[in-house]
Amino acid sequence: MIHTTLFLSNDTSSRAVGVDRLAKLLQDESNVRLVRTSSRGAFFLEPIIERDMPDGRIVWCNVTADDLPGILAGQGGVALQSIPFLAAQTRFTFSNFGITQPLALDEYRTRDGFRGLEKALVTAPDKVIEELKIAGLRGRGGAAFPLWSKWQAALLTEEDEKFVVVNADEGDAGTYCDRMVMEGDPFRLVEGMLICAHTVGATRGYIYCRQEYPAAAGSMKAAVHIADEAGLLELDGRRFPIDIVMGAGSYVCGEETALLESLEGRRGVVRAKPPFPAVSGLYQKPTIVSNVLTVATVPSILARGGAWHASLGTDRSRGTIALQIGGRVKQPGLVEIPFGMTLRRVLEQFAGGMASGSRFKAAQVGGPLGSLFPESKLDIPICYDAFSDAGAILGHGGIVVYDDQTDMVELARHFMAFTADESCGKCTPCRIGSVRGRELLELVQAGGATTADLTLLSDLGDTMKTASLCALGGRAPYPVLTAIEHFPHEFKDRLKM
Amino acid sequence: MTDESSSEGLLDSSLLADCSRSEPSDRPNILKALLAIQERIGYVPPRSIPQIARTLGATEADVAGVLSYYQDLRTTAPGRHVIRVCMGESCVANRCGQILRALKDHLGIDIGETDSGGQFTLEKVFCMGNCAVSPTIAVNQTLFGRVEPAQIRTIVDCYR
Repeated sequence: MIHTTLFLSNDTSSRAVGVDRLAKLLQDESNVRLVRTSSRGAFFLEPIIERDMPDGRIVWCNVTADDLPGILAGQGGVALQSIPFLAAQTRFTFSNFGITQPLALDEYRTRDGFRGLEKALVTAPDKVIEELKIAGLRGRGGAAFPLWSKWQAALLTEEDEKFVVVNADEGDAGTYCDRMVMEGDPFRLVEGMLICAHTVGATRGYIYCRQEYPAAAGSMKAAVHIADEAGLLELDGRRFPIDIVMGAGSYVCGEETALLESLEGRRGVVRAKPPFPAVSGLYQKPTIVSNVLTVATVPSILARGGAWHASLGTDRSRGTIALQIGGRVKQPGLVEIPFGMTLRRVLEQFAGGMASGSRFKAAQVGGPLGSLFPESKLDIPICYDAFSDAGAILGHGGIVVYDDQTDMVELARHFMAFTADESCGKCTPCRIGSVRGRELLELVQAGGATTADLTLLSDLGDTMKTASLCALGGRAPYPVLTAIEHFPHEFKDRLKM
Repeated sequence: MTDESSSEGLLDSSLLADCSRSEPSDRPNILKALLAIQERIGYVPPRSIPQIARTLGATEADVAGVLSYYQDLRTTAPGRHVIRVCMGESCVANRCGQILRALKDHLGIDIGETDSGGQFTLEKVFCMGNCAVSPTIAVNQTLFGRVEPAQIRTIVDCYR
């Protein structure tokens, strides 16, 4: 006889802070049923246990083993709706998170799953692309390229084989929304791929998943298998196979052409563009390469219409953005909101200010290649245009906050060392520039640098920005130069007199 | 993990065949084959490069090039447990440097090294996507979040 159903997240980050230990203790309770769901993304509250009570869903936060008897007795807890971090969000792509079991196909269907695909299947390809154009969806992986334009190019290129490749090489430090999608709502990604395949006439799909995400790859493999068994991979009278391929620890393989090289089994070295992958990509065939979040956004657009998506956000940044907050804040976690809120408000309202005992120094937006924002620059609206005007990037939506104990010279060295480690070596500005940049910063650290060395660093940065083949070399100078711009004394105080 | 490679670092022919097998519709894939070999024996012996090249119909330079390019491909056997310390930005902001120091002190090895008993290999990694509960370490495939330097001894000793 089951009396109580408890809901616990099965997300990697939830498990990393002890959810499995609690689940194990609860397994021994004979009258308890455990349901492992995706995560709500409020990771600062994990481990979380939820339970349906007469007044609705009740949530127990930061649970320890000592709390379990109280939870089973229904004592304490807070109403789900009373958590401001969650209540203030606008969730579409993440609407199922914390609610469904990732691999329950019926639950996905019940919550409007595959409605977008159904619509796409009865719509002419050029009309699907028109819908995406109206929606104004731009790639969420970092390049912000209009999705419709890629699909159009692939549709118009005639070939016997075409590919859909999902870029799941989420390498930007400080980002984890793609991992969450794959672990937590894998059918949404499958649906997005099927819509794309049907529209451009693709014959095969790949998900290139980074090696650091074994749970995400496992979840995707299981979801593809379940979808296949249910006949969902039958598309326009033939099977559309989807393979999950693992990477091997190279950051630059998140760049679309390096990813294609790696998918073909070679060194993940960047290709010169054009030709663009939509025309000549994997094995020189037309290939749509899109990031996980982008593909996972497509089903809602088809189901609700492009105009719905375009009604959210700002003029040239339509829809919602998945911000992933990390670093030294009180409330790290996933936040989905329409574009346009200022960075300051996001940090106040969602991040909840600094972790106890810490004082704000800088926020970095857009991963290891993203610019640093000091306190005085936080009033920037989160949208592509404002960031581009400021010489910054939104990247994949990662926000990392550093406190006043952070040594900016060491942080700048860390960024350059990262690029030097990860450069694919194809173009000289990145291959040599990143090593020289790291050396110069090490010279500053050792107290052996002069003003001329900082000028050289700045010149080096300009060369890398303008002459690198891809965004790794082209963006690498930004965090370093913004560190020097906003915290000049930390660098100048260490120069040789 | 069993040692299926011979003492000379050459691969058993059936293992090589298994690891380089692909679907009929697939093209030969060097990275996939190397990952499959590593999955079976823990690393890719450099002496097996000519064998692998012959089996895949690739040049030795192609195979050696792929093997040296990817950080996760190993050319020597790792310890029984691989401990990775995340050096991503969120972990940096949350003092992963202290975690790394605690690990180095406790294990008596540096990054990229294996302890003398062959039990632990220490590595760094740029972001495990566990940023919201950073700092992070991983022991094999298990992640630990919100790690504090004082916990290192307890976590590591569970694997001894």
